[in-house]
Amino acid sequence: MRQRSLIAITAALAAGALTLTACGSRDDDGGSDGGNGGGGGTTVVIGVDAPLTGDLSALGLGIKNSVDLAAKTANKDNYVDGIKFETEALDDQGQPSVGQQNATKLVANDDVLGVVGPLNSSVGESMQKVFDTAKLVEVSPANTNPALTQGVDWQNKKVRPYKSYFRTATTDAIQGPFAAQYVYNDSKKRKVFVIDDKKTYGAGLAATFTEEFKKLGGQVVGTEHINPDTKDFNAVATKVKNSGADVVYYGGEYPQAGPLSKQIKAAGAKIPVVGGDGIYSADFIKLAGASGTGDLATSVGAPVEELPSAKEFVANYEAAGYKEAYEAYGGYSYDSAWAIIEAVKAVVEANDGKLPDDARAKVVDAMQNVSFDGVTGKVSFDEFGDATNKQLTVYAVENGAWKSVKSGTYTG
Amino acid sequence: MSGAGPVEPGEGTHAWDATDTPRPPGRPRGRLARCYDRHRRAVLGSAAAIAVLAGSGYPYAGRPRQPPPPQPPYPVQVVDLVYLDAVAGPGGAEPGDFSFAVLLSVRSGRPVTVTRLAQPYDGLAMASSPAAPIQTKSHSARKIIVTLRVTECERAPRNLRLPFLDVTLRNARAIQAHSFILGSRYARDLSEALHAACDQYSR
Repeated sequence: MRQRSLIAITAALAAGALTLTACGSRDDDGGSDGGNGGGGGTTVVIGVDAPLTGDLSALGLGIKNSVDLAAKTANKDNYVDGIKFETEALDDQGQPSVGQQNATKLVANDDVLGVVGPLNSSVGESMQKVFDTAKLVEVSPANTNPALTQGVDWQNKKVRPYKSYFRTATTDAIQGPFAAQYVYNDSKKRKVFVIDDKKTYGAGLAATFTEEFKKLGGQVVGTEHINPDTKDFNAVATKVKNSGADVVYYGGEYPQAGPLSKQIKAAGAKIPVVGGDGIYSADFIKLAGASGTGDLATSVGAPVEELPSAKEFVANYEAAGYKEAYEAYGGYSYDSAWAIIEAVKAVVEANDGKLPDDARAKVVDAMQNVSFDGVTGKVSFDEFGDATNKQLTVYAVENGAWKSVKSGTYTG
Repeated sequence: MSGAGPVEPGEGTHAWDATDTPRPPGRPRGRLARCYDRHRRAVLGSAAAIAVLAGSGYPYAGRPRQPPPPQPPYPVQVVDLVYLDAVAGPGGAEPGDFSFAVLLSVRSGRPVTVTRLAQPYDGLAMASSPAAPIQTKSHSARKIIVTLRVTECERAPRNLRLPFLDVTLRNARAIQAHSFILGSRYARDLSEALHAACDQYSR
């Protein structure tokens, strides 16, 4: 009987506690706007620019959703007292001209104090000046072309072109050589056929790969540029087959890389296609088909499953119920948005809890000193606006999925 | 077992015990049933004891469980390997060898052991002091002297932009192979040393 009473009392206490907890949850959410609201007060908008439609939308939507999650998390936790974060996402379709128009539009909205994006380096190039003139901070989770932060002559003399531009992704100055060393030292390939899509990202990455591969003793047996607007690469595939190459390096993105890989194998060249973070997408595997097994991609950062900090992000992303996957740049996008949130917090706290009149300029200054433990590890920026965390991973297509095969860290 | 009275009915509890009313016909009683009849008190007493014990154990079984301790981080996530400088070789280094120092530090978590330290390039051989395995405790750092020797000048790569050191790290969580890209200063010092070694060799 005593045990039964004990159980009954325990059950009653548990029920009471649960009730109180539930009440507490409702109080926490009080005043929220569809889960995106916070403590009310001043609204700060985080702009997002990414390809939300078209071939690259898988990556773009992952960026958009991850920024949305960061804003919701900040609001839920009332992370910046008196500030409610909202997001405004614009579709650049992967086009520099559209990206520039979006930049102008975001600048015109006085509530926008920071922008996350874009995906493509060529789009980033077109937006930088617009944002810098308006002193509006931009944090790209995905741009990897070195010139964006270190100037066009980055190989000889690094000069930061824009103070308002930052990125959480590692640059191709590291990614290209990292891929070259894996292909030469680990895969033991000696003859490469290099193809790029003539865009800022693709051509730049192919160049940094080629330079290091040749220094290692490798031979470039052919080069080609493709038109990213087509999906017929049979002529290039035949050239690859006839070149005697034992590996193909492609500087570009997955919408072209997938069919290219498939057509190269169909032409009779059973050799791996290697690319950068632009092909590291589940869609590449779908497009390349079964013959894509053994293809390789480098991508920025460590594998998510190795990062304890990423587990919470992954769980929260799933719980939020987004339709699209967070893809290659989800963690970096969340960290980019959170860097803006941290900078806004620093500015508000330094101004007696209010946003100053010159908030945009102050946020740019604060961004330089931001430092926090993010989804992808420690987040902070060097004197060029580049991420100080420079991890890279090589992935291989195995059993219809990307599997990490080697990782590296730049500690220079 | 609470002392509140018999746990099973005694004689005369049921109507048919007190009257001549014939008992309803039942199924033929088997060996187990006959055994139960003989030892009814003991069986019911034991069952009651088990029930009370189970009841006592319920709060214990239903107590809030401690979450399992978090797994230690992967070794790669807690280790830094940075280039320090070119240094004089340790005793035993031969003319033409060149040495440099790196600093291995473990930021947090459990101790980490470097089970392998290697350079991946053709035409070069490498040794380290101390030799692997090298164990480093959490929140501490160890200086390691790496000595390279050119074994084949024709194959040794010159002017690499981002030369690696390959390490295999082990801790309580995992064993991981990882490349550390030591940066432009290491690249420059390595390149100068290779040129010096091979130019001398070719003369």
